[in-house]
Amino acid sequence: MIEIENLTKRFDQVQALSGLSLTAQDGRVTGLIGPNGAGKTTAFRIVYGLLAPDQGCARVDGVDVAEDRMLAQRQLGVLPDVRGLYPRLSAREHIRYFGQLHGACGAALEADIDELVTRLSMGDFADRLAKGFSRGQELKVALGRALVHRPHNLILDEPTNGLDVMSSRAVRELIAEMKAEGHCILISSHIMSEVSLLCDDLVIVAEGRAVASGTPDELRTEAGADDLEEVFVRILARTSAKAEVAQ
Amino acid sequence: MTGQTSTNWMPGWIQRVWIVLKKELRDHSRDRRSLTLALVYPMLGPLLVAGGLLLAGKTLQGDFREHAVTVPAVGVEHAPQLKTYLENNNVRFSAAPPTRQAQEDAVREGRLAVVLIVPQSADGQGAFTIELLTNTGRVDNLRVTARLSAIVRGFNDHIADQKALAAGLPAGYATAVKIARTNVARDANIAVFFYNMVPPLVIFMIFLGGVHLAIDTTVGERERGSLEPLLLAPVERWVLLLAKALAALAFTAVTTVVNLGAFRLFMGLAASSSERLVAPPGWDVFAVIFAVTVPLMAIAVALQMSVAVITRSMKEAQIYLGLLPLAPALPGMVMVFSPMNPTDVTVAVPVLGQMLLINQLVGEQALDPQHVLIAALTTTLSAALIFLLAAKWFRREKMFVLG
Repeated sequence: MIEIENLTKRFDQVQALSGLSLTAQDGRVTGLIGPNGAGKTTAFRIVYGLLAPDQGCARVDGVDVAEDRMLAQRQLGVLPDVRGLYPRLSAREHIRYFGQLHGACGAALEADIDELVTRLSMGDFADRLAKGFSRGQELKVALGRALVHRPHNLILDEPTNGLDVMSSRAVRELIAEMKAEGHCILISSHIMSEVSLLCDDLVIVAEGRAVASGTPDELRTEAGADDLEEVFVRILARTSAKAEVAQ
Repeated sequence: MTGQTSTNWMPGWIQRVWIVLKKELRDHSRDRRSLTLALVYPMLGPLLVAGGLLLAGKTLQGDFREHAVTVPAVGVEHAPQLKTYLENNNVRFSAAPPTRQAQEDAVREGRLAVVLIVPQSADGQGAFTIELLTNTGRVDNLRVTARLSAIVRGFNDHIADQKALAAGLPAGYATAVKIARTNVARDANIAVFFYNMVPPLVIFMIFLGGVHLAIDTTVGERERGSLEPLLLAPVERWVLLLAKALAALAFTAVTTVVNLGAFRLFMGLAASSSERLVAPPGWDVFAVIFAVTVPLMAIAVALQMSVAVITRSMKEAQIYLGLLPLAPALPGMVMVFSPMNPTDVTVAVPVLGQMLLINQLVGEQALDPQHVLIAALTTTLSAALIFLLAAKWFRREKMFVLG
């Protein structure tokens, strides 16, 4: 389970987070949606220990990230928006490297890598250097890297960004499988159809805080619209109007 | 469940350093730029110095008495006694260009080293003036001009002695003071001059060897976006930086081995081309130089890492770190012309201490163990402090976040 409690974060003149709170439960897919600059990536970075919050806290399976970053990271698999592969390492070497960094080695690690190569359909490029990989291949390597230590909690930032139809479907199927296995999955996406298909719970973020949350159906009822994109637009418009009145 | 590491006897942080170090070494052993910097660049300085040594050995170290020189001459027949004296001193004559202008042009443009002009008025005279057209901007011209001048001075002394004897006076009567030179520096002094260039060039390469790796594994990782996934792994930040620094240190060590080996090999070959050039210091001396430079490698890498972690882009890091090798190499170049003696104080200055010790080794002087210890301690300590500073900067949030 991932818990975010009253997170505040400021970068110079920019207030990135203003008291964001949310909970992502085990066995459910929680979607974090919001316009660009709403604070989604900053929140993720605080959860996986890259940034320290000014106030509030983030917990992974009850472990406060600020207190024990490394323990929290062991229970977390992350697919960042920027895939960031090493062009001179093969796909298999990428996964092995991150497995070793999580303390794995030997035959058990190799077996896990083989399993991931099969599960993510990487067989035809697993031993090729990453330079020149397609976006779909890059994503699969990044997913393998995030999953090699079998984390209970997953953060996926724009998991299907730039992928073709087949690759997007494969990722969605993987997320569904992980959910069925009881993993806690927190995703961020701009693709409303994907959010609609995948997410059990949604949190709409604007100006660094959660402005609405619930199941997709609950949000549809709240906004009075069937289309999730329309729900998103109405809730953001309502939030802006409230902010103007408050000023 | 994933397997657990088989190196449990090691402290966890050392295991993590080893994992990251292995990855960086594997990654960069596949990188053409890193390999070129480590294996090809270190050959260039030694080739240049050895080439210069070879050329100098042939140009400057020739024996005047053993090798004939051909001098374009005009009117040498007007001074038959001088002509015979010059010929007896291995000077041969060839035809000079026909006009004064053509003669000057030929010397100025380097087609002729010198032109000897004996005026017609010298015919039958006991005293006359000869002219040497020369170009002082060219070393080979200076050599021939100096040789001709020396022979003519010898001729003057010879005539003066003859005249003194004919007048019943002792030889040397007309010359108040004669100079007898005794060269104790052996003919090899020019080789030593070239060997003195080794320390600054070695230090230059030490500050260059791991620079690409230092940049690529820090600011380069951030620019490519691979630093963020790496920082998601449960590894201490200082462990990551230490492993990357050790990888840069390994490449620097390889660079230094290649550099020193190439210096010894190429300079040895160049020196063996002439009996008059002393051989460079032996392989054992070069092995000691390598040992003396280890703290220097550490401080070079620490400086590279600290600059790389605070710069915003690879391009910016390349600019700063491209200039870095010049700073420690410049004092070394100054010492080629104005040597400094090591003292307890001077060897305590990081980098300068190693430079002085290498100078001593190249000059085949014995090292004072106390100096070696002081230099190693102060430089290593400085390297550690600089690394700690870099590790502190590496923890900053700005380091991890693009933009």
